[in-house]
Amino acid sequence: MSLAAILMTVLGVLWIGGGSVWLLTRRRYKLVQVPSFLMDLVGFPVEYAQSIWGRGGVPYALLLPNMLIFGLFTFVPMILNFYVSFTGGTSILLFNRPWVGFQQYADIFSCETIFEPRTCSNAGFSFWKGMFNTLWFVVIQVPVLCVVALVTALVVNKNIRGRGFWRAMFFYPVMLSPVVIANIWNWVLHRKGVLNEMIGGTRDQLSAMAGMTGFDIVVTVLLAVVLMVVSERALRSSDTPSLAWTAVFGALLALLFGWANPLSLIGLGGSIWLGGALALGLVLIVSSESRHARIAIIVAGILSAALLISIQFDSVFDFGRYRPINWLVQPNTGWPFFWLVFVFTWSHMGFYMLILLAGLQAIPSDLYEAARMDATRPARAFWRITLPLIMPTLTVVLVLALIRSFQIFDEVYLLTGGGPGRETFMIVQNIYEVAFTNQSKDYGEGAAGSVLMAVVIAIFTFFQLWITRRQSEL
Amino acid sequence: MLNRLSTFLTRTAGNKDTAERFGMADVLAYGYLLLGVLIVLVPVLWTFFSSIKPERAVDSFDTRLLPIAQVQTEIEGIGTKPEWIHEAGDGGETKVFKAGPTRKETDVAPIDEPGDVFKVPRTQLRPSEEIRVATENYLDPLLKRHGQENFTFGIYLFNSIFVTVMATLVTLIINAMAAFALSKYRFRGRLTFTILIVATLLIPSSIILVSLFFVVWSFGIFGSLWGVIIPAAATPTGVFLLRQYMLTIPDELLEAARMDAASEWRIFWRIVLPLSLPALSVLAILSVIWRWNDFLWPLIVLISDPEKHTIQLGLTQYAGEFDTDFHYILAMTVVSLIPITLVFVWLQRFITTGIATTGLK
Repeated sequence: MSLAAILMTVLGVLWIGGGSVWLLTRRRYKLVQVPSFLMDLVGFPVEYAQSIWGRGGVPYALLLPNMLIFGLFTFVPMILNFYVSFTGGTSILLFNRPWVGFQQYADIFSCETIFEPRTCSNAGFSFWKGMFNTLWFVVIQVPVLCVVALVTALVVNKNIRGRGFWRAMFFYPVMLSPVVIANIWNWVLHRKGVLNEMIGGTRDQLSAMAGMTGFDIVVTVLLAVVLMVVSERALRSSDTPSLAWTAVFGALLALLFGWANPLSLIGLGGSIWLGGALALGLVLIVSSESRHARIAIIVAGILSAALLISIQFDSVFDFGRYRPINWLVQPNTGWPFFWLVFVFTWSHMGFYMLILLAGLQAIPSDLYEAARMDATRPARAFWRITLPLIMPTLTVVLVLALIRSFQIFDEVYLLTGGGPGRETFMIVQNIYEVAFTNQSKDYGEGAAGSVLMAVVIAIFTFFQLWITRRQSEL
Repeated sequence: MLNRLSTFLTRTAGNKDTAERFGMADVLAYGYLLLGVLIVLVPVLWTFFSSIKPERAVDSFDTRLLPIAQVQTEIEGIGTKPEWIHEAGDGGETKVFKAGPTRKETDVAPIDEPGDVFKVPRTQLRPSEEIRVATENYLDPLLKRHGQENFTFGIYLFNSIFVTVMATLVTLIINAMAAFALSKYRFRGRLTFTILIVATLLIPSSIILVSLFFVVWSFGIFGSLWGVIIPAAATPTGVFLLRQYMLTIPDELLEAARMDAASEWRIFWRIVLPLSLPALSVLAILSVIWRWNDFLWPLIVLISDPEKHTIQLGLTQYAGEFDTDFHYILAMTVVSLIPITLVFVWLQRFITTGIATTGLK
C-alpha cells in the first residue's frame, strides 16, 4: 500500500468515525438535519480545534488544508528541486539516488561557448538551444502581446456598437484548451489548408487583373488621387495633423513602397519593410505632436509622388505561381516561429486585454472631459492621460505576460513539437523531455534545468519591475 | 444640403449642430474589429464547417464552405463506387461510374446498366456531387464504430468531468476556509501566512515539474486522477479573490451568530459561505476552465494509462495515432470545444468581471 493510501485510511477512519461519535454525543440532530450533520462532519477538525483551544485555534485549523497542500506540493518541491539537481541516476526513489554534486550543472555548462549551443555536450546543447529559443521568443512575444492587448482594449473601450460582444469575442480564445487551439491552427495552416488556398487564390486573381491592359495606369492614377485626398485630410486642421488620417496615409505609403520597390535599384529586396518603418515613424512623429509633424507629412507626400512617377509600367504585378508554404514544417524560413508568436498572441491576448480594459475604465472620465474642454487632440490625450494612468496596470500585464510566455510549452509541443529541427524547441519542453520522455529518464538534469530556468525568470522579473519602477517615477 | 445630409448619415451622437461625426478614428476602430472577426472567429467557424464534411472532402482539402461530397452509389455485384456525370457532346448527361483506371480515355459504365462498359474522354467526366452533413465524423468515435474503438470518448469525458468537478469542489472549500481565516480572524502569524500565499503566486508551476513528480510519486497518487486533482487544489488566486470579498462582510453578522452560541464552523458555512456566493461562483468558473483545459501536468501524470486520459490527452493521442484522419480529429475538436463554449456564452459576464477584478489567471 502506498503512503497516501495508508494516510488516507487512517485519516478517514479518524475523521468520519471519530467525528461522528464526537458530534453525536454533543449535539442532537433530527432526521431532516442529515445534510447539516454531514457539513458539520466535513468541518469536524475545525469544531474539534475550537473545543480544545477555543476561538484562537480556529484560524489555524481553517488554514491547515490549504497550507498543507501549498507546503507539500509547492514549497517542498521548490526545495526538493535543488536536492534532485545534485543527484544522478534514473531511480525514482529519492534515497537511491547517488549524490553527484554539481555534475548535472557541469554537464549543462560543458560548452566551448555557451552562446553557440552546437559546441556543447548533448545535455548542454538541448538546454541552451531551448533557453535561447525561449529568450528570443519572450523578447518578441511580450511586446507584441502587450501592444496588441492595449490596442484591442482601447478599441473595445471606445463608444462602439455591441461592446459586450466584441469584448467577449476577443476573450473567447482564452477559454479554449491548447489542444483545441493547436488542432484548429494545424488545420488552417496545413500545406493544403485554407490559408494557402486563400493566398493562392488572391494572387491568381491579382495576376489576372494585372494582366488587363491599362491596369497599371489606372491603379497609379487612383493611388495618386487617394494619396492626395488622404494627405490633404491629414493636414487639414489648423494646429496639428490628424493622427487617424496620417495612419491611413502611412499604410498607403508602405503599400506604395512595396509596389515601386525603390530598393531594387541597389539590388535589395524588402522595400515594403522599409515603407512600413517609414510609415511607423511618421505616425510616431505625428502622435508625439512634434513641431515638424506637418513638414514630415509633406516630405512623405513628395516622396510618394516621386515613387509613383518612378514606377515602371511593366510586369509589376506578375506574381507568378504561388507555391504553398508548409507553415509549421518548412525549416529555415522563420514561419514556424512566426506562427507560434501569432497563435500565442491569439490565444492569450484576450486575458491581458481584459486586465487593461479594467485599468482603462478606472480612469476618471472627467479627465477626458477636461481635455475636451481644452480642445486637446485624442493622440495627445492618449500620451498625456491614458498612458501614464494605465502604466501600473501595464506593468502588471508585462510581468504576467513575461512569466507566462517564458513557460510556453503546450502550444509549441502540439503545433510544431519543437521542430523543424530544433527551431522552436523551448526550455520547458527540454525539461519535460529530459525528465519524462527520453529513454533514460534523467531527473537530475531536468531538475538542474528547472533551477537555472527559475534563476532566469527571477532575474527577468526583477529587472522588468526595476525598469518600470524607474519609468513610473519619472 | 449635401453637407447636412452627410452630417445626418455619419453622426454618432448629438443633434445636427453638435453632431459627433463618424470620423476616421471610428473607421479604423471598426476596421480593427473586422480584422478581429477574421482572425478570431473565422478559424473556429472554419473548423466547425470542416468537421461536418465527408471524409473525402476533408482529405482532399476541399475549401468550399458547404459539406459537398461526391455521391457514392451501391452497384450490384461490383460494390460502392463514386458516381460521375458524363457530359456527352450533344448536351445529354448520364450518371456513370469508372469501370477501370482513369486514363485519357476512361472505361465507364452507366449506373443503371453496370455491364455496358464504354470509353469516354476524361475531360467529359465531372463528379456527381451532393450536399451531405457527415454525421459519421461525430458518431463513429462516439459510438466506437468503424475502427474507432481506441477512442474511448466516454472514459475521457468521465475522467475530465471527475477531475474538473472534484478539483473545483476541493478548491472551493479549502480556499474559502483559508480566506475566511485570513479575513475574519486576528491571530499570530496572519501576515506570515499571507506572505507565504503571495510567494506561491511567484513560483511558476513549470519550474517545479520534476520535484513535484517525486512528491506525487512518493504519495502514491502518480498515475491516478487524484495526482492531477490534489497538487493544484490550493490556488493563491482563489484565496485572494475570496479574501477580498469576505472582507466586505460586516463583522456584526458574525458577532450576532456568536451571541447565539453558533460554533465557528457553523458561522463559516451558514453565514459566510452563502454571503460570498458571487466570489465563489467566479472562482468556480475559473477553476472549471483551468481544470478542463489543463494539459502539461496530466500529460506527465496520466499519459501511461489510457484508462485515465482526460479529454485533452485523448485528443492528442488521437491526433498522433491516426495522422491522416483529419475528419475525426476535427469533429472531436469541436466536441471538446462545445462545453467550454456553452459555459462561456452562458457565464460570459461573470468570467470577464472575475478576471478583470482579480487580474489573475
